[in-house]
Order: sequence, then C-alpha cells, then structure tokens
Amino acid sequence: MKKLNLAAIASLVIFVISPLTYSINAFAADKETVNTVATLRDHTPIESQKEPNPIPKVMNKDIKQGRNYPMQPPVIPHTTRSYEVNKNNNKCLSCHSRHRTEKSQAPMISVTHYMDRDGNFLADVSPRRYFCNQCHVTQVDAKPLVENTFVDMHTLMSVKIVTDEHH
Amino acid sequence: MTNKAEKSTNEYHVASFVAYPIISQIFAVKAAILAVQGTEIHATSEEGKIVFTIEGHSYKDIGKKMDTIRVHQGIINLSPVYHQILDESIEDDAVNENKVVNEFTPQTHI
Amino acid sequence: MSINRREFIKANAIAAAAAVAGVSVPAVASNLITSSDITKLKWDKAPCRFCGTGCSVNVGVMDGKVVATHGDIKSPVNKGLNCVKGYFLSKIMYGKDRLTQPLLRMSNGKYDKQGEFTPISWEQAFDVMAEKAKETLKKSGPEAVGMFGSGQWTVQEGYAAVKLMKAGFRTNNIDPNARHCMASAVGGFMRTFGIDEPMGCYDDLEAADAFVLWGSNMAEMHPILWTRLTDRRLSAQHVRVAVLSTYEHRSFDLADNGMIFTPQTDLAILNFIANYIIETDRVNKDFVSKHTNFRLGTTDIGYGLRPENPLEVNAKNNGKNAGDSTPIDFDEYAKFVSTYTVEYASKLSGVPEHKLIELAEMYADPKVKVTSFWTMGFNQHTRGVWANNLVYNIHLLTGKISTPGNSPFSLTGQPSACGTAREVGTFSHRLPADMVVTNPKHRDTAEKIWGVPAGTVPPKPGYHAVLQNRMLKDGKLNFYWVQCNNNMQAGANINEEIYPGYRNPKNFIVVSDPYPTVTAQAADLILPTAMWVEKEGVYGNAERRTQAWYQMVEAPQGAQSDLWQLVEFSKRFKVEDVWPEELIAKQPDLRGKTLYDVLYKDSSVGKFPLSEIPEDRLNDDARDFGFYIQKGLFEEYASFGRGHAHDLAPYDRYHNERGLRWPVVNGVETKWRFKEGSDPYAKPGSDWDFYGHKDGRARIFALPYEPAAESPDEEYDLWLSTGRVLEHWHSGSMTQRVPELYKAIPDALVYMHPDDAKVRGLRRGDLVKLVSRRGEVQTRVETRGRNKPPIGLVFMPWFDASRLVNKITLDATDPLSKQTDYKKCAIKIVKV
Repeated sequence: MKKLNLAAIASLVIFVISPLTYSINAFAADKETVNTVATLRDHTPIESQKEPNPIPKVMNKDIKQGRNYPMQPPVIPHTTRSYEVNKNNNKCLSCHSRHRTEKSQAPMISVTHYMDRDGNFLADVSPRRYFCNQCHVTQVDAKPLVENTFVDMHTLMSVKIVTDEHH
Repeated sequence: MTNKAEKSTNEYHVASFVAYPIISQIFAVKAAILAVQGTEIHATSEEGKIVFTIEGHSYKDIGKKMDTIRVHQGIINLSPVYHQILDESIEDDAVNENKVVNEFTPQTHI
Repeated sequence: MSINRREFIKANAIAAAAAVAGVSVPAVASNLITSSDITKLKWDKAPCRFCGTGCSVNVGVMDGKVVATHGDIKSPVNKGLNCVKGYFLSKIMYGKDRLTQPLLRMSNGKYDKQGEFTPISWEQAFDVMAEKAKETLKKSGPEAVGMFGSGQWTVQEGYAAVKLMKAGFRTNNIDPNARHCMASAVGGFMRTFGIDEPMGCYDDLEAADAFVLWGSNMAEMHPILWTRLTDRRLSAQHVRVAVLSTYEHRSFDLADNGMIFTPQTDLAILNFIANYIIETDRVNKDFVSKHTNFRLGTTDIGYGLRPENPLEVNAKNNGKNAGDSTPIDFDEYAKFVSTYTVEYASKLSGVPEHKLIELAEMYADPKVKVTSFWTMGFNQHTRGVWANNLVYNIHLLTGKISTPGNSPFSLTGQPSACGTAREVGTFSHRLPADMVVTNPKHRDTAEKIWGVPAGTVPPKPGYHAVLQNRMLKDGKLNFYWVQCNNNMQAGANINEEIYPGYRNPKNFIVVSDPYPTVTAQAADLILPTAMWVEKEGVYGNAERRTQAWYQMVEAPQGAQSDLWQLVEFSKRFKVEDVWPEELIAKQPDLRGKTLYDVLYKDSSVGKFPLSEIPEDRLNDDARDFGFYIQKGLFEEYASFGRGHAHDLAPYDRYHNERGLRWPVVNGVETKWRFKEGSDPYAKPGSDWDFYGHKDGRARIFALPYEPAAESPDEEYDLWLSTGRVLEHWHSGSMTQRVPELYKAIPDALVYMHPDDAKVRGLRRGDLVKLVSRRGEVQTRVETRGRNKPPIGLVFMPWFDASRLVNKITLDATDPLSKQTDYKKCAIKIVKV
C-alpha cells in the first residue's frame, strides 16, 4: 500500500518537474532570432514559398506530457483518428469516463467535468464538457518554428527558495 | 572543481531519510544532521519526525554520511527511504529513464 | 540540464520520505500551493485575447511573468471554461522572437525602401515617421494618409486612433480589420433596425428550443458558446440543432439537421423559409403589422471589384444607389418570395427538400423558440448585408425576436470587434455610437465633444480596408500605419493588390506588432508592441458586454502599447502642420499646440489624475503621460453614447465587474433590446420598439438570390473556401508560437473530398498547387481531416504564415458593406 503511495507521489512530481527542464532550455535566448522577420516563414520572401513539409504524424506513444500549469488541459498522447464524438457517441469517454478507467487504465476525466455551469456535481459527465476536442488536442511530431520562453511557476519558486536560503 | 582526494565520479547520489528523535533532543539532532555536508532538512512532522536528504557522489559517500548521523544519541531510529543515482557522464533527456536503484522498504513501526 | 535532473530526483526522494513521515510534501517537491510567500500567485481577471465570445480568464502572475491562466468561474460568459487557445493564453506573450526594438529598412545608415531591417531607437523611429507623414500631408494632403486598425485594439486605442486620424490628420482613411469580419453584420443591423449590434444576448442559449447555424462553425470558432449550445441540446431532449454550411465541419457533430448547400444559395434558402412561413399561414400578423414595414431593395449591385472589372461594368446599380430601397406592402413582399418554392430552393442549393422543410418548420412553428447564429458564412459574402437582412426577415415575420431564446444573433470574430470597431466607430465612414461622417449633425457632435473647430472632420468617407490596398497599389495612399492586425496574411488577393501596394516605392508603411508577422515583413518600419495584459484596456464582446482589465505585467523592454505609440506620435505634430489656417482661425487658442495637447492632454481625456489608479497597479502608459489616459479616453468616448441607447457605466465599475451589457441605464445592464420591460429605451406601451428607425419599426427586405462573383468553370473547376481552425487564432501570429497549439495543427492543408482527390490522381499527403486567376499556393492534400467538403469544393485555412492561401483568393466584396467574400472563388488543383 505504502509503495503504491510512493509511486503515486513520484508520478505527481514528474508532472510538475518535466516542463521545468524545457523552460530553462528555452530561456537561453538565442539573440539571432530576436528582432528578425519572417520567423514563421523560415525567412522566405513573401513572393516565394518554401516547399511544404510532409504532413507530420500524430504522436502515439501514450506517454503523458507535462502541463505548464495545473489548470492546463492535458494534451492527448495518442492518435484519435476515426474517433467518433457526436451527439450519439463519444469514443473518448469509452476509455476515460469514470466507470471505464478500471478496464482501460486510462486517466479518468477530471472531476470538474462532472460539474454543471453553476458548479453543481452531476451523476455523469456534464454536457458542457461533451466535446473533448475543444480543449484536448493531439500533438504531431513536429518541431515548433519558434521557441517559447514561458517560465513554469515552479521554476520561479525554486529560484526563490534557493535565493531565500542564502539570506 | 575536481578534487582528486575525494575520488571524483560522474555520479550524483541523493538519498532521503526519516529520523525519529527523542523529542527533547530534536534541536540537537537537527544540528547534527545539518553539520554533515550535503544534507538538507525538508520537513518535520508533528510527532517530530525529521525528513532530510543527503547528497553525495558515491554509495560510499552517502553511507559514510548516514553513519555519522545514525550514531547520534538523540536518534531513536533512522529510516532510509529512497536512494537514486544520476550518471552524469551521459547527457540524457529522458529524466524518467534514471533507475531508482534502491527504494528501501519503509520501517512502518516508527 | 543536470541541475534540473538533480532537482528532479531530489524532489522524488523528498516526496517519498515525506510520505513515510506522514508530513505534507514540502514546496520544492510539491505541486501544492502552500501558504508561503514564495508560492504566492497574484490572480486577476481579464477578457480573453482571442475571439468575440469574450470569455473572462483569471491570469496568474508571479515575478512579473504570466505563469497560468484559467477560465473565470465568476464570468457569466464562460463559467470557468476556456477553449484550448484560451487555456494557453499564458504562453502567447513569450514567443522567443518578440520584437523589442523598432526596425527600419536602411542602407548606409539611411532609410531605404529596398534596405535591410535595422534596429533603431524609438526617437529615430518617430523622427522618420513624422517626416514621412508631414511630407505626405504637404504633397498630397490628408487623403494620402491612412491607418489600418483592428477589432483587437482596446476601446481606448481605437478611440485614440479615430481622434488622431479624423480630427488630427483630418482623414477618414481609417478602417479596422473588422471590415473583413462583420461589416456585413453592421450593414444588416443598420438597414433592418437602424442601430447596430445584436438585440439578444448569450442567455438565449439556455432558453432556445432550436438553434440554426448559418455559415458558422461554432464548434471551432466560438467554442465556449458551442459548449453552452451543446449543454442545452444534450440537457433538454426537445432541443434541435440545424447546421448549414458549404462543407461538413465539426459543428455537424451535434446537428439534427445538417445541410450542405452550394455556395451563395443561402439567399434562396432564406427566401424559401420566408415563403414557407407565409404559405403555411404562420406569419405573426399582429407583430408584423405593429412593428415592421416592407421594402424592396435595389438589385444587380455588383461585386465591389475595381471599376474596370467586367462584372462592375455590367452591373446596373453598383454606385451610390446600391443600398436604396422602396416601400412595398405585405402582399407585394409575399409575391416576391413566392418564387422561392421548396423545389426551386432545393434545386439551386442541392439540399434535399425534406431537410429544407424541416428547417423552415423550426422557424414557422409558433411554439418553438429559435436562435439563429451566423458568422463568416453570411458576412464574408458578396451579398452579406442581404443575407443578414433575409435572416431578420424570418425572425420578424414570426415575431421571434428580442425575447429569451428568440434571437437572430450575429457572432463576431474578434475580441473587440463590437467594442472597438463598431461602438467606437473605427471605420472609414463612422464616428462613435453609430454616427457617420456623412451626416453634418454627427460631425458637429463629434467636433464639439473633441473640442476642435467646426469643419475639422472631413465629410467624405475614407478608404475602406480593400480600397486602402488598391489605393496603396495605385500610389494614392502614401503614409500607412497598420496596428494590431496581419493583413498581408489576412487580406484577399495578396499577389495582385496588397503586396504590390505595400512595396510601392511611393509609400511608407509602418507596422506595429508584438511579433514579426508577414505584414511586418512587408513593412518599411516595424514598431515593437506591447500586448494584452501588458497594458490596461477594455474590450466589448458579441453580446454587447464591455469588459476591462488592468495591466498585470511589464511589456518586454522596448515594446510599447498601440495606445502609447499613437499618443506619443501625436506629440510630433503642431496644429499648423496638419490644419489649414482658416480652420485654426476658428479656434485661435489652439495655435501652436501639438495634437497631443489638443486631442489628449488638454481635452477631457486628460482630466483624470494618476491618483485615480490604484497604487498597487501597473499602468506604464498612464504614468508615462502623467494622467489616467485609459479612463480619460473611455469617459470621453462614453459621452457619445450616454443618453443615446449606447450607455456605458462609469469606467471604474468595469474593473469590478465581469463586464456589463450596454445600454447600462441607472446602473443596470440590458439583456434584450427593443423589448419593453427589458430595454429601458423601448417606449412604454410599445411592447416592441425598434427605435433605431424613427418610425420605431424594423424593416423586412425583399431581396433576391444573385450569383457569386466567381464560380467554378471548366478550367478553374473547384470552389475554394477559406476559414479558421480551433487551435489557432486568425493568422496564428500568437498561437503558432505556443508549442502545444503549433503541434496540434501546424500546417494549413487543403481539405478535399476523396473522390475529388482520386480523379486528379491525388492521395492524402501529396504536394499540390492551388491555382486561381490571381496566383498559386502550395500545400498538401488532406482527405480525412476534420473538414469534409462535398465534391467540387475545397477548404484551406489561412492561419499558416508559410502557405498564404490569400495569394489566390478574390478581393470581391459586398458592395454595401465592403466586406470581402473569402468563401467563394474558383481554383484548380494541380499535382506538383
């Protein structure tokens, strides 16, 4: 039992820390890309066009990705090709709803998804949360064109903890 | 940086412990823990259990430091909980590939 | 790297030991926010930076950085929800290529149109801008100066810009990119009701029994309103949803009646429904006789192309009279629509008859409360104003209007398309509060409020968005400032009009943006710009809700808000530089003053001291100018509408509310306009009062189906529709810099029917050229994506800066609204 607890805590920690590695990396701003133009066009003049890349594949490794902050909806770590989500059917819920997760071992949708507009808990998923793809998206295997220097709050906190210890 | 006398390795070790002190001696125990290089106290429970880590560069290093603390007369019990090694000779992105080499069985009687 | 890994495994170790000791996990190893000062986030509210829905978000700030955002639980709009873009707002300001220095095209240390972008100081930037503006004014007059702004400007920025252009430089050549977005909706409102903006509000979503989407993919473009619609549809079993579009998209997932129609034939379907209501004797005669009258509109009005285009040469009424109409009676109207039988509408549109009847029945049944939503399908339409008029016809014939759930509802695309573009009136023909430059009384009102001499505001409407590009190309618009938009990617027909216009050696183009966009790439001077919560502002959403936010973080060193740029630039001009002597002579006390003095500091804009800003609040703009400029601009602007059915609350109140829907009368917002009991402006005893028109009546227009400007033929054999996607906001200049959103959908593909691909020997992923009469663009084929076009039509979104679909689109506009039709042109697809 204890062991399970430890594992659970350890996995929580993975969530928190992994975006941190990314942010620090991106922080070392490469001055060459600052104040230049056409960064999303790979410096191609407007009159011409760079040959479009092949369509990238959707990442399908089922490895959870870190969240940038606790309220961020997790991205989908698998393909959702031919998943039907319409008024009769919701393929996502066939694994992620509360009564399916034991069999599927997929993460259960968060408790917020059981709340209605006024914050009351419902017996089942709230219809306002029905279309999963409004918040949750798959990720293709492509390198972002421009880095993002967003800093995770835990990076800021650990910097402050370190600073505080020196006082 | 390299200190030959300490027999440098490319390893980073971290181990965590729970110390159960005689309550009247808790401050002395804490001082003793902090007197050892590479230690850090992170929390103390209401019953006085002290959560601390030891960082070092080898098994032997961690063990030696642990022994220094263990012999303190104010400690009733010292439970090692967790020990992990980072081999820094290989730069690897995948954090979770580092093996947890020894997850001690917690001593539940304390 | 290893530091992080050490911290990571150390955190694991601590967490494990803490669990054993039964203590809470210390902060360093935890994601729990403890009470320590170290972990404290400062939370504040702001409207979302993206679409016109106007969700409120909570923004978490730590150490001067936005570190988290989430949906505001207190907001009546979104009640704690966001769409995927909204959830990633935290990251939009942190693209690594944020601009931090003005960049001027230079060679040998001097401005050169053909030179390379070179960093310069703000001082130098304003020097060269002022020199170019003055040179242009001297040589060609105010008509050669222009500005292209945005429905993403804050209310204050839009107002400051209108003042600077219309009173300062005395040019009406200011237009917002909202022209591309909802000008047709404005035209529709003004024509039918005589006053702009929806009568209903989002509360209709919980009250309606039926929803009809007309050319609106709410599931992707207004996702939070879609969650409310979905909530209603799935919670109340009797509710029905009809979706009409020229291709199948995500909103069809909830459709009880999904209809794919041939482009442009929505006009025929709308007239069929009116005819059906009349023929089945379900006209609400009491309502119609008391609250409406009928008009026959002018037809054959052309397509807003250049005058020499054969379509314009052949059009009979494409001049000033295009918007004219003559009174008719009900019987004449009934006769007019009688030709739109179900057989005819079905044949023209390709929609099966039973589906059309099912749709018409929703509107006709007096027991069903219907809300119609539309967006770009109606508005980006060469008969966009007509389409708006025709949908109002249906709601008016049945009296299904201005009561909960009965609502013809035009949705907007930008966060302040309503608040800034429409209400402030940043259009080439408009002034604040629905007033227009062509009306001498309106000009007089504006001049009095602004404290400028009578005759300052020019009476002739300026160049609208599309005309600005044509005038740039023709060398008649020479000093041009673009703020808060990306028109080199968003405007139609880049190849033939926009790009040659920007690069015309006669012109000097200034582009203000946080990021180096495609438009910036085509500029001569780029100004680095602060965005969103790096400044204080106000936005107005699609349901008339006005929302304010405080500055929460500092902009990157060197970047300045659009407001600061406009106002600071005005210091470079004395009235003598911009106004003729006879104008100054009318108000000699203004002699020797700068535009900054006249328009901002010494006007009512300057009357609120810094002490009115809460001390703990950032406000770089106000503290730089020495007065609470955002409040001054807002209050002066609000004075236009107070008492004229556009009442806004006092500025400070908006900082304490999740927005208020105007008119705000006696401190109370208005949910349904024109209805006695809910709208304080509706006259007692009127029941409904369409007070926008002097007779208090709304107008029902007889308008026909007319064909599109360009339809597929033998050579260009496919319809092309462009549009947006859920994960990217408009041109993607913000969202493409968020890695998670980029990786969700990085490239604009061409969505086509598998059979259309097959006959061209194409497979998914093939590299193709989309070719129109105007140019070509390359992309790859998608046959199984989220959009499923019918045979004969393809869809390619425009968010992708590397594949500019607007190189091939047609710059045909609605002749009434001047809004471009991005949904219909003819192309062919060739394998590369």
